[in-house]
Amino acid sequence: MSTELTMTLEVFRYHPETDHEPRFQAYEVPYDEDWVVLDALNWIKDHVDGSLTHRWSCRMGVCGSCGMMVNGDPKLTCAVFLKDYYPRPIKVEPLVNFPVERDLVVSLDGFMDKLEAVKPYIIRDDVNDTSGGEYLQSPAELAQYKQYSMCINCMLCYAACPVAGHEDEFLGPAALALGHRYNKDSRDQGQAERLDVMLVGEAIWGCTFVGECTVVCPKHVDPAGAIQQAKAVGAQEFFKRFVAPKGAGV
Amino acid sequence: MAHGTTHEHDVIIIGGGGAGLRASIAIAEENPDFSVACVSKVYPMRSHTVTAEGGAAAKIKPNDSLEDHIYDTISGADWLADQDAVEYFVNEAPSEMIQLEHWGCPWSREPDGSVAVRPFGGMKIERTWFAADKTGFHMLHSLFQTTLKYGNIVRYDEHFATRLLIDGNGRCRGCAAIELRTGSVRAILGKAVIICTGGAGRVFPFTTNGSIKTGDGMAMAYRAGVALKDMEFIQYHPTGLPGTGILITEASRGEGGILVNKDGYRYLQDYELGEALDVSDPRHPQKRAMELGPRDRLSQCFIKEKWAGRTIETKDGHVVHLDLRHLGEAKIDKKIPFVRELSRNYAGIDPVYKPIPVRPVVHYVMGGIDVDSNSATSVPGLYAAGECACVSINGANRLGSNSLTELLVFGAQAGRHAARFAMDNPDYDVSELEAQAEDEGARIRRAWFDTSRRNGERIVTLRTELHDAMENGAGIYRNADSLQSACETVADLRARYRSVTLDDHTNSFNTELTAALELGSLIDVAEAMAHSAIERTESRGSHQRLDHTERNDDDFLAHSMAYHRPDGSPPRIEYKPVTITKWPPGARTYGAGSGLKGEDR
Amino acid sequence: MSGQFHRPHAWAWFLERPGYVRFMVRELTSFFVAGYLIVLLVTLGRLGGGEAAFAEWLSALSGPGWMLAHVVALIAAVWHSITWFAAVPQAMPVYLGEKKLPAPLAAVVMGYGPWLTVTAGIVWWVLR
Repeated sequence: MSTELTMTLEVFRYHPETDHEPRFQAYEVPYDEDWVVLDALNWIKDHVDGSLTHRWSCRMGVCGSCGMMVNGDPKLTCAVFLKDYYPRPIKVEPLVNFPVERDLVVSLDGFMDKLEAVKPYIIRDDVNDTSGGEYLQSPAELAQYKQYSMCINCMLCYAACPVAGHEDEFLGPAALALGHRYNKDSRDQGQAERLDVMLVGEAIWGCTFVGECTVVCPKHVDPAGAIQQAKAVGAQEFFKRFVAPKGAGV
Repeated sequence: MAHGTTHEHDVIIIGGGGAGLRASIAIAEENPDFSVACVSKVYPMRSHTVTAEGGAAAKIKPNDSLEDHIYDTISGADWLADQDAVEYFVNEAPSEMIQLEHWGCPWSREPDGSVAVRPFGGMKIERTWFAADKTGFHMLHSLFQTTLKYGNIVRYDEHFATRLLIDGNGRCRGCAAIELRTGSVRAILGKAVIICTGGAGRVFPFTTNGSIKTGDGMAMAYRAGVALKDMEFIQYHPTGLPGTGILITEASRGEGGILVNKDGYRYLQDYELGEALDVSDPRHPQKRAMELGPRDRLSQCFIKEKWAGRTIETKDGHVVHLDLRHLGEAKIDKKIPFVRELSRNYAGIDPVYKPIPVRPVVHYVMGGIDVDSNSATSVPGLYAAGECACVSINGANRLGSNSLTELLVFGAQAGRHAARFAMDNPDYDVSELEAQAEDEGARIRRAWFDTSRRNGERIVTLRTELHDAMENGAGIYRNADSLQSACETVADLRARYRSVTLDDHTNSFNTELTAALELGSLIDVAEAMAHSAIERTESRGSHQRLDHTERNDDDFLAHSMAYHRPDGSPPRIEYKPVTITKWPPGARTYGAGSGLKGEDR
Repeated sequence: MSGQFHRPHAWAWFLERPGYVRFMVRELTSFFVAGYLIVLLVTLGRLGGGEAAFAEWLSALSGPGWMLAHVVALIAAVWHSITWFAAVPQAMPVYLGEKKLPAPLAAVVMGYGPWLTVTAGIVWWVLR
């Protein structure tokens, strides 16, 4: 490093084999105004402490691996710059509302189950056949769901959601937005199946519209909006089913 | 490494990117009673397919033809592609792309609701399907989400495969893999195996590739005795952001963006790439010309401009300017919004108002695991697909937007052939494979957890030296001296690799250990690249030798085949003829009127 | 292995982010709205109880305590309405072809516009 400027990273450390409680470890890192927080973590791992553990890959904000709490805010560490904090120290922690595997690595188990639960794939009655060409979908029909298809599964929204932290049954912002994405896709016919999952217990109704998921979303997915829309559809469906139970031809 | 449990399935897929997921679905859908294991060192949606931007090529529009797509691909490959494979690829591409559309990929659309296509480099006509400029992201997520439909796809997320398990009859029957969460080495067994682990751009320092692209699958096959084919062919994408190497998609030029040097001059017109039409000319951007020339040529032009002193010097090296301003804000936001987001965030430039500084950046490995036109390797039961494989449709230079389609076409094909092999060869001896996996766990422990070994070199020291050696020795232009020096450095690093020491000797989520194993893969792959390159004394496509500047079809219309030597000495390089069917080697021309086939020219 | 670490939940979680505080304030305003509704119901009940009862109730309401309560309830109701109108574009997006109606415009079209229209109508009816 040509520069002598440094700054401090206070990093959350926890090792499942030896620790019962997490601790914070401070590292001095070179200050480079082009560096993102992830660059500093990689520098520590390469040069100072190979045991520091974090996930990362694309370092361009699309693979969704490197979400962490940066000074208390859920952020993609490849997208926040040291210069935004310099010269104050930066506190780096694993995403909240998830169990910590080690250091900055959290468990995705619950999240993956929730994603799968909403049946995030096209459901249709007809036979899958490519010989007839593509299903037509107008740009206006595409626009109906496009925004909700932009989720990179970085899970920042779960870290920002107080309900996700307190209510296990709640499917959470990303999974619900994904379910809504398929419900709004003109090629899909699976809304009823998805609502079977989403309308149970706190699955969707757990959302109290705090709205912080949308605030922290790095891809402008607006999960809060998607959930409210899905709730409106769900409420209609709920009453329909109340009036004429399933199988009665609603 | 603790010995973990044994898991049995019908087919094992290593890698959860586009090719691995497509293969998983192909098997799961057509063989409902089969159990498919998808083993990946990251969660599938983190796979590097996610970063692909511009699009995926397939003939869909009535004004296009399969023949043209074939010719563009073969000429783009500088005739090093196997033409039977290219024909299969192009013929299968449309139905595979429609299939992905049926699975929910949010393709951008024409007003009539049909999928929209855009022009791409080296293509005679617009045939690149796109989902704005996040095509790879949408393809990967559509595929991943579709796999969730199949109960017979079992994912092994965050399992790092380290070794192929080969039975006494020489058939590949699974892999040993470290479960990252616990650090135990599992034996994941099946009747056939497909490697879909992607490329190895991380051999180089300046690359669009994410940190996971370390050539692990290529190295695993190489060590198991399979040849790495055409490894000297490494694609530099002409437009990466300086400093970070983040990709600015070719779609920005497909939509009409232009490249200019420090004088604001469209320098490509000086390099036999056609005439510089005014950006307001309705014929701009012209296909197979200027900014829509092939990537190898454009990256080479950059170097020549740099040698001529006409590039712009910055603290992150020399750059030229990619100017999109004439496209206007509305078009940029609609067609290439991610370009704007990336430029603003990582270069501090808003392309609506200012040109983007760009320079060539390592992007793709044309070479890979040698497979035949059925995606089968020389080891029975072992298949490969995607960037890690070399079929070869990409030859000496891949055309932009062929690789995403390749994931689908050959992922599905490899899946079907592997399933057939599994049906025909169901029996294997579990205990001998378990013993191999156990042995692998012990080997890793011996190599990396020996606490008596202290103060060895750090991973980063070797990795940095490898990067420098490959960039300086095996970059866009090479010669015997530069390559010789790269070969020597790689050999030296191979020797020193054994004495690298780790800070971390614990089991759970030991990413320092995986980084060390990845460094081992990088060294293997770099060795194959450097030695294949030094042996090829001609210039073709992306392999440009300053000491052998012409293409030499008499001696080198052939695939290089690098074979690993277990004793650590340099690889054996052999050659295998290119399959030529209907398109005899011709001059590779770009510019007005180019792209005419054979006798028409 | 001692296993995964689960972070304890803070009792005062609603103070952790400014957005949570705003959320709590919004939720609390509904108590005032609900409280005012009760007052309104009681008022209706008194109206049914005859002229004297109603007059007595009205005079009680004109005391300073009740006036203050009304002002607070009004502020709370206005704030609650504003947060609702801000949420309208998210919960009920309006598409014109490919384009989504921009949020501020959608809030006016679907929130403030009808609100002001109805309010003006009521004012006109009362004052006419």
